[in-house]
Amino acid sequence: MSGVSNGVVVDCAGVSRTYQEDAVPVHALRSVDFEFSRGDFVSLSGPSGSGKSTLLNLIGGLDRADAGTISVDGVVVDGLSESELSDMRLHKIGFVFQSYNLIPVLSAQENVEFIMQLQGVAPAERAERAVETLASLGIGELAHRRPGELSGGQQQRVAIARAIVTHPVLLLADEPSANLDSATTEELLKLLRRLNDDRGISILTATHDPMVMGYAKRRVVLRDGAIVEDSAN
Amino acid sequence: MAEISAEIPTSRRSAGLPASVLAIAWRNLWRNPRRTWLMAGSIGFAIWMLSFSFALQKGAFDVMTDNGAQLWIGHAQIQHPDFEDEPLLENVIADVPHLRRAVEALDGVLTAAPRAEAAALVSAGERSFGALAVGVEAAAEAQWSGLAGAVAAGRYLDGPGQAFVGAAMARNLGISVGDELVMLGTAKEGGVAAAVAEVAGVFSTGSAALDRSLALIPIADFRSAWNLAPDEAHRLVVVVDDVGEALDTAQAAAGAAAPWRVLDWQALMPEIKQFIDLKLAGLYFLFAIIAIIVTFSVVNAFLMTLFERTAEFGMLKAIGMRPGSILGQLQCEALLLWVLGVLLGVGVALGLVLWLEAVGMPMPIDPNEVMPGLNMPDRIHPSMGWGVASVACLTLLAGTQLALLVPAVRLRRLNCVEALRTQE
Amino acid sequence: MPIKLLFQMSVRNILRHRRRNGMMLAAVVVAVAAVVMMNSLIRGMQQDMADAAVENLVGHVKVLAPGYRDDPGIQKNFELASDWRPPDGVPEVAGWAMRVRVPAVIMSERGTRGIQFVGVNPQQEGISFLSSAHMTGESLKDASDGRIIIGQALAEQLETGLGRRLVIITQGADGLNREAGFRIAGLYDADGEGMEKFFVFTGVGALQKMVGADVFTELSIRLHQEPALFVLKETLVELFTGLEVLDWRELEPQAAAMFIFADAAVLIWFFVMMGALVFGLVNTLVTSVMERIRELGMLRAVGMRPRSVVAQVVIESSVLMLIGVAAGIAGGLAGILAMGDGLDLSAWSEGVQSFGMRTLLRPVPLADDVLLIAFLSLGLGVVASLYPAWRAIKIKPLEALRR
Repeated sequence: MSGVSNGVVVDCAGVSRTYQEDAVPVHALRSVDFEFSRGDFVSLSGPSGSGKSTLLNLIGGLDRADAGTISVDGVVVDGLSESELSDMRLHKIGFVFQSYNLIPVLSAQENVEFIMQLQGVAPAERAERAVETLASLGIGELAHRRPGELSGGQQQRVAIARAIVTHPVLLLADEPSANLDSATTEELLKLLRRLNDDRGISILTATHDPMVMGYAKRRVVLRDGAIVEDSAN
Repeated sequence: MAEISAEIPTSRRSAGLPASVLAIAWRNLWRNPRRTWLMAGSIGFAIWMLSFSFALQKGAFDVMTDNGAQLWIGHAQIQHPDFEDEPLLENVIADVPHLRRAVEALDGVLTAAPRAEAAALVSAGERSFGALAVGVEAAAEAQWSGLAGAVAAGRYLDGPGQAFVGAAMARNLGISVGDELVMLGTAKEGGVAAAVAEVAGVFSTGSAALDRSLALIPIADFRSAWNLAPDEAHRLVVVVDDVGEALDTAQAAAGAAAPWRVLDWQALMPEIKQFIDLKLAGLYFLFAIIAIIVTFSVVNAFLMTLFERTAEFGMLKAIGMRPGSILGQLQCEALLLWVLGVLLGVGVALGLVLWLEAVGMPMPIDPNEVMPGLNMPDRIHPSMGWGVASVACLTLLAGTQLALLVPAVRLRRLNCVEALRTQE
Repeated sequence: MPIKLLFQMSVRNILRHRRRNGMMLAAVVVAVAAVVMMNSLIRGMQQDMADAAVENLVGHVKVLAPGYRDDPGIQKNFELASDWRPPDGVPEVAGWAMRVRVPAVIMSERGTRGIQFVGVNPQQEGISFLSSAHMTGESLKDASDGRIIIGQALAEQLETGLGRRLVIITQGADGLNREAGFRIAGLYDADGEGMEKFFVFTGVGALQKMVGADVFTELSIRLHQEPALFVLKETLVELFTGLEVLDWRELEPQAAAMFIFADAAVLIWFFVMMGALVFGLVNTLVTSVMERIRELGMLRAVGMRPRSVVAQVVIESSVLMLIGVAAGIAGGLAGILAMGDGLDLSAWSEGVQSFGMRTLLRPVPLADDVLLIAFLSLGLGVVASLYPAWRAIKIKPLEALRR
């Protein structure tokens, strides 16, 4: 371990992001300061257009800020090239998407192994870790099914397995419950909380679902591109 | 929890392709079986088109060249250096028996036969026609020449004082077997050459030019009438085992230093060679256009794929896969598509060719009516041209891989945030 | 559903996916343009062969004595007044020529060759290649000119030249051989060496004197327009009872057969191109249908008839083809313009000439062919849309909406 002794995983300072939408500038983020410590579970919420997804995408290296500095795990991401950003995403960040986004032609286990293949993990280790992770999420018996044969909640668990199997510094979840019913959402949230509590996985989620906010440890609310509330649960 | 480094680990293989990339590509192909079959079909069609039409043409060409050569011309000829351009009586090759022995001693040479020839006025009774009088060695010619076998009446030459003439000439002169004819011409070193011969037989080859103009007599008779030495001739006609090596074989025989010129069937029948080349040029043009059309179709198919799988590619990019690797995945899909197309195209072409090779394909019009000089059979037995089939396959391999350039550009520009949003 | 609305929807659906449909259009354009160009080249080749056959002393129609074709000689002759002219009723006559054409042997001190010895009236030979061939020396003055004109290639073979004398032997009308000396007035340069080696010309009067008969062996008539051929032939058959009246197709079966081959080649080219095209077209149309499953399901749910669904897909395909065909024809014609005077085939000169073609291949675009290509392409567009249309009406409204 090096350089992150203070436990800060994400540090955003004065981050702004402006989009041009039909030649009209939309200020998605206005000079936002945001810090995220290791082991935290934070929910970003706010109405549509408040900037929560933008902040998530900037931290995930999917988008670039117009002003300000973002560092993830001690690395300033602003100046990174496209391929350096790719590597950062591959090795440091786990993504969970609203629509699961599993590769439809691969089975659950193959989906989980796929990301380790990208990292260059040896086959035997890959399989072992994938099986272990799926089992720990309670879907070990579904390992050989393809996404099309799984329910929404099951697919989202596979997506979480894929996100955490690489031991990322940070798990980013964009509206993870949007396509799930409330019972399934609850199960999912319990799972995320358990991962956070037991394994210390840092989770940052953007959501407008109050249930998600309820499970998070810290709650950040944005409005019109600025943080208007930041409180511990 | 694993140790986490502040450095971004750039693992050596992170930009590379996972080992199972082919398997993934294969499964991706069958996400849209209809499209895959349509595209493989169009690739297969192009390959089939070129392979099969070339096979048909080749079947026809083989017959044309073979008939042309076997009928009269031979596979190669050794001549005086000027004789092909200026067929003058004095442009002879000397010491023919010696040369002939040397040629016949070579591997792959079936026979070598000397010929002497001159333009002559052939008369029977009161009628006369211009003709080409050719002195041949009957025993040697009878072994291979199709002309010797094309007897319409009487028999081939088998003794001195005989003539073997074309059917059209016999008709024009009003003669038949047993009649006498006179040949008149200019002998070597001036003077009149005259030969009297009895018609031993009449031939009919189907080639109007040969049937009208050729009059064969024994070469000894020719030499005495036209005043040539016993070891002189105009052509030494070489017949070989392997047509492809005819020129090399004859060249070896003649020797580089000798004052002779060696011509193979392509040089002796330039019109057939050029006819074949022209036909092939047309065929290649047709194929080039088809390859372009097929490539467009494949580009289109990949654009559709890209469009439909935008979210998936966005996700792959988001979790850290490089655009190059994603493109590699698509390249594998294009490769497998091509393999399917090749199997289809070559398979169908081969099946058809093998079947037609056995039964023969009837021509739409009797070709001998159209091109009497070329001696085409009324059925073609095509043979598979593997060279051309590979050209077709490789062209389309290039085409299908190039087809990915357009999607590749879009892939590089793909914004994962927007891409992921496309499915919501 | 009103056809106008269907048409509008189809056009908008095409515009919705510009890149994809643009790519498809490009393929259609390439295919149609290539077919148009190739077609015009094949027609050019055809016309070349016909022209060559007609110019090659054949004319559109020839009158011969019976048996001359099997046994060409002075015995197979007919008499005709030297001031004969075609009846006034025959349209489009470009000219006519009365000739004596006999096999002969020509000799110089250097060689002997078999030739066709042709007696002509130079004033009448505007209809044959003789008038347009490049000439070194002098042409024949009139029908009684007793000098000869020989081909450049024959002169080289015989190692002779302008002003020199050659001996020609041929059979007289009485069946006996005649031998006479002729001075060379000119050397002609024809398109093919074959002709140069084959034909030797002199005044028809001089040749008649040599064979000893005031007769002709052929009357050749050339027309401005081929369609008038039938009328001419009818008239001549009535006029010359007992003689053979033959058109160039009968006289040159090789060229005539190539005509049929060329007609077939035009269609073969078309179907091969379109065969390559149809896969991509079906793929484009099916994809466009499958993407719109929800939309089409909704339309069905609100009461659109299957018929209208089919019409929409067929119209979409037809519009795509219509634009592609129009642009393709324009492209093809532009390509033809770019060829200028024609393609130079001199690299294959002997092969080309053995088929009675010129070494410069001029493209000849025919309106009828272009129209045929256009209609067949549009027909293909409709045929290719049938499967996608069938797929579209199989969509069940409820299922589609549930997606």
